[in-house]
Parts: sequence; C-alpha cells; structure tokens
Amino acid sequence: MYLNKYQQQILEGKYGRGSQKAMEILRAMGEARGAEKMVEISYAHLMPPDVMFFPYGRQGKWGQELIRDLIQDIDHLSVPATIEPKFVDLNIAKQLEFSEDEIKEMNQIMESAVRFYEKLGVIPTYSALPFFVYPGKLNQHVSIAESISILWYNTIFGSRCERDDGVISLSAAITGFVPEVGMHLSQNRYAQVIIRIKDELEVNNFADSDFDALSLAISRRTKEKIPVISNLPLSVGQSYTKLKHLLATIAVESGLPLLHMVGITPEAPTLEIALGPNHHKVEEVLIGEQEIREAYNIACTAKENHIDYVLLGCPHVTMKEFMEIIKIIDEKKVHPNVKFVISTTKLFRDTASDMGYLDILKKAGAIITDSMCIAFAGTKVKGTIATNSIKGAFFYSGFDQEKVSPVWFGSTKECTHAAIEGRWIGGGKYGCS
Amino acid sequence: MDVLKGKSVSKKHPIVEGKALVIKDLIAFWAGIDWESGDIVEVAHSGRGQNVTGKILVFPAGKGGAGETFGYYYLYRNNKAPLALLCNTVQATTVAGAIICNTPMIYGFKKDILKVIKTGDHIRVNSQKGEIEIFKENLIYRKE
Repeated sequence: MYLNKYQQQILEGKYGRGSQKAMEILRAMGEARGAEKMVEISYAHLMPPDVMFFPYGRQGKWGQELIRDLIQDIDHLSVPATIEPKFVDLNIAKQLEFSEDEIKEMNQIMESAVRFYEKLGVIPTYSALPFFVYPGKLNQHVSIAESISILWYNTIFGSRCERDDGVISLSAAITGFVPEVGMHLSQNRYAQVIIRIKDELEVNNFADSDFDALSLAISRRTKEKIPVISNLPLSVGQSYTKLKHLLATIAVESGLPLLHMVGITPEAPTLEIALGPNHHKVEEVLIGEQEIREAYNIACTAKENHIDYVLLGCPHVTMKEFMEIIKIIDEKKVHPNVKFVISTTKLFRDTASDMGYLDILKKAGAIITDSMCIAFAGTKVKGTIATNSIKGAFFYSGFDQEKVSPVWFGSTKECTHAAIEGRWIGGGKYGCS
Repeated sequence: MDVLKGKSVSKKHPIVEGKALVIKDLIAFWAGIDWESGDIVEVAHSGRGQNVTGKILVFPAGKGGAGETFGYYYLYRNNKAPLALLCNTVQATTVAGAIICNTPMIYGFKKDILKVIKTGDHIRVNSQKGEIEIFKENLIYRKE
C-alpha cells in the first residue's frame, strides 16, 4: 500500500506515538482490505468507548485502556469532529436502574473522557444524528463511527464513508486519513439488488415504526448486497423522521453502509444510474404486508400487555415525534407504574423547550433527557419495555439471555398510549397487539 | 483434506488450529454475542445458543453498529474470543477487531466457506500463507 511522504513520517513516529499508532492501525486496515493508498478526510464522528460504551465495570476499564493506548500524546485532531451520545445521562441513571457504585464509576470514567475530548476540540454534539450539526456534501470523504450516520452520510448526502468503528474513526480523526477502500471508491457504490414495495403497502400512510419494519424486512433479505428501493414515495425523502426510522434499523441489522432510493438519494436519480454496471444481473426482491408483519413479530418479544418502561429516542426523538407525543399526552398523565423516558439531542431539546413541549411533558410525568444513548442506557432496566425503534428493541431483548427484557415495538403513537395506559394496546395496521 | 486460499488480515500470526463453528447468519459481535459467556444471544439468529470461544468461527460477514470492534475487544479481554475468524466477505469493523485483538482472520475465499466447512471440522489456519486446511469431522485426525 502506497503512503505519501507525510503519511510515512506519521508512521515513523515523527508526530508522536499516538499518531504513529493510529497510522499503524489504518495501514493494517488498508493492507487487509487491499487499499492502494490513503484518502484524505475532512470530517470525523467519534465513538469513544469511555464516553459511550459501558464506561463502568470491567468493560469500562478495558475501553479506557484501549483508548489511552491510542491517544497517549495527542493534543489536537486533524479534522473537525463530532461525538457520539454519552452512555447514560447520570441525572437519570438511577431511574434506569444503575447502582450508586456504577454511577460513581461512570462519573469518573465518562467525565474525564468528556473533558479530554472537548479539550481536543471535539464539537460536543453527543448525538447519533450529528448531521443536524455537521451536514455532509456530495463526494466528501468522511470517517464516521455511528451506524445510522454512516448510512445517512452515504445515502442522503452522497458523502463517502466506510463502516468505520470507534477505533478507526479516532485514528482517522488523529491522522486525517482513511484507507481508500469500499464506499470511498465510486465503483463500489452501485446498487446490487432491487427492492420493490408491493402495491398492497400504503407507504404514504405508514406509521413511523412501519419504516423500521420495512428496513428490517429489506436488510434480512439483502444481507450483504447494497439495495436500491425502486418505488418509494418521494415524500419519504422529505421527512427526517421517516428517513431516521428507515435507516436506523438497516444500519444495525445488516453490514450495509448505503441504501439507494430512486428519486430521493443523490446517487439514484434513476434506477439505471443507481445500478450502474450491475443493471443486467440484479435480482428484484418484493416486500409486502407479510414481510412487514414478520418484521414486527421478530421485534416484539413481549407476551404480557403490562408495561414498565416506555423508552423513546433510539436514535434521538425528533420534532415530529415530539409533536406526536404532545398531541396524545395533552392534559393526560403518564401511568404511575410506567417510566416514560424521552431521549433527544441538545438541539431538539432547546427547540422543544421553546415550543412549550417540555413543560407539557414534565407536567404529564415524562422524563426528558438528551445527549445520551437510550439503547445502552435502557439495558439495565427490568420489566417490559415499549419502544418505537427496532434498533432499541434488539438492544433490549437480544442483549443477554438471562436478563432479557420483553419488548413491545410499535409507533410513537402506540408507545405514548402505552405510557398513559400502563399496558400495550397496539392498534398499528401491521404491528403487534 | 481441502486447502482454501483467501486474504489474510495480518500475516504475522503463527498457525492456529481448532474446531470450526459454522454460523449461517451475519454476526454482530456487539449485542449479538454476550462477551461474558461467548454465547450468541441475538434473537431470531440461526446461531443463537452457540458458543464462539476458542472456535474457528466461520460466518458470512460481520454486521451491526459501529461499536462492533468494542464488542469483539471485550470478548477478547474476557478470554472468550474465537481462535480465528473466517468469513466470505470483509466488514471493516470485523477487521478492526481482528487487528486490535491479534486474532487471525482470513476472508474472500474462492468458494463459499459456509458450504465447504461444517461445524466440528478441524481447521488449520495459516495466516502467513492466507490459507486454511480443512480436515472433515468424520475423518479421525491426529496432530502427530
């Protein structure tokens, strides 16, 4: 693999041990994947384990050791960088069943990490949706460690980004380079399988969670192949919330970095262009009601209607979702046996506050939080969880066989009703009840 | 005995050998596998209940979020990691996990390894050559 003079100097340690280590990792990755050279990036999104990945217990110490080894003498990053949500908002950690000891430990590991990254100049987004703060551009090379954002930058902006992880994105932010492989190369970005939505599905009337189900149905059928959806209504592309639900599930259920949508995404103005040289030899997969129902059935693991927790915001609750919740909750109260946690970003929280939503929600008894990962933060709770996110559902139910939390998965509307009633009513067209 | 050639993530590892565990579905090392036990715990996964520790793990590719590497790293730190990783297609997070945990990993074989290898087969992984040797389960194999 070719390295230019500057990259070679980094590798030789001229810019310190941290940069050297970062370049060693990037080169190993490049060699392993057959890269010919490095490509310069102009933005990175970081996922440090000591901020977001279980910063307590044995894994907390391991995560800290892993990163300390990497960042030893680093005092700045080569590119602007945003950062993932914190593992949990320590102010509500007790309500999410974390012990005093764990909270104390997290306070130490997480807070010292947060201070460190902010001192490095990291933009303190603490968000899995950093594109609201730092949008990408067509053909811009970036390095992102956040599954939905990888999909978002590649798909919605046409930026170029591999499925980088916490270690690679940090190495990339330190050096300013990534190996030129995969999504960084035009020839790898063409669609490899066509997804057609059957007429029986009324996508225009989809609830938000139906997009999660569609996403799961697609990813279970395309597996490693880049899909192009040939007939999605263009209105889907105009809704951040619909796109969030559509991209979040496929991001974790598949290994895919990109999902073309004809007429919606920049590299798919037509089906032919999205398929490029593959247009002769691709198969078409049909998604209908049966596939959507099947996805719901996979995500819903609860049997009892009783609800203990309603956890919304994987990823963060958007303004549209806030509005849906407000419409239903109005003057009502959250059921006394239910903890209703709404997790958003600082940006949306401020807007929701300006709009008077937070007062209404607090009065109703909801717990509002921001800048944390509710998928992780919710993994300690015991009892039945309702969520509007399949990604969240998988984290809660697939995590540990012995401490499995039964999950109801449905729309924001259904989840809000569950928070008020203390039980799952369902009512979605394709969903579980 | 079959010999298959693929691409090795790192050539520096010594030869390792062990029993194959063949998993037909994509694997998530974070959340899909419990790092405390090494068990596959993902709901509706064909490998649910199987244990990856010390196995030559044969799977189509990695999947999951950007935290995959950490999931793999915790498995490794807890001494529950597989002995080697063999996959059809390469996924960056799997490679990153293999690099930071020094796990031999070979991918991109000419044949579909899920069809060629069966669970229980004895596999010898030669990272330097990017080669695997497959000794079928029903043939008694002795090292000497």
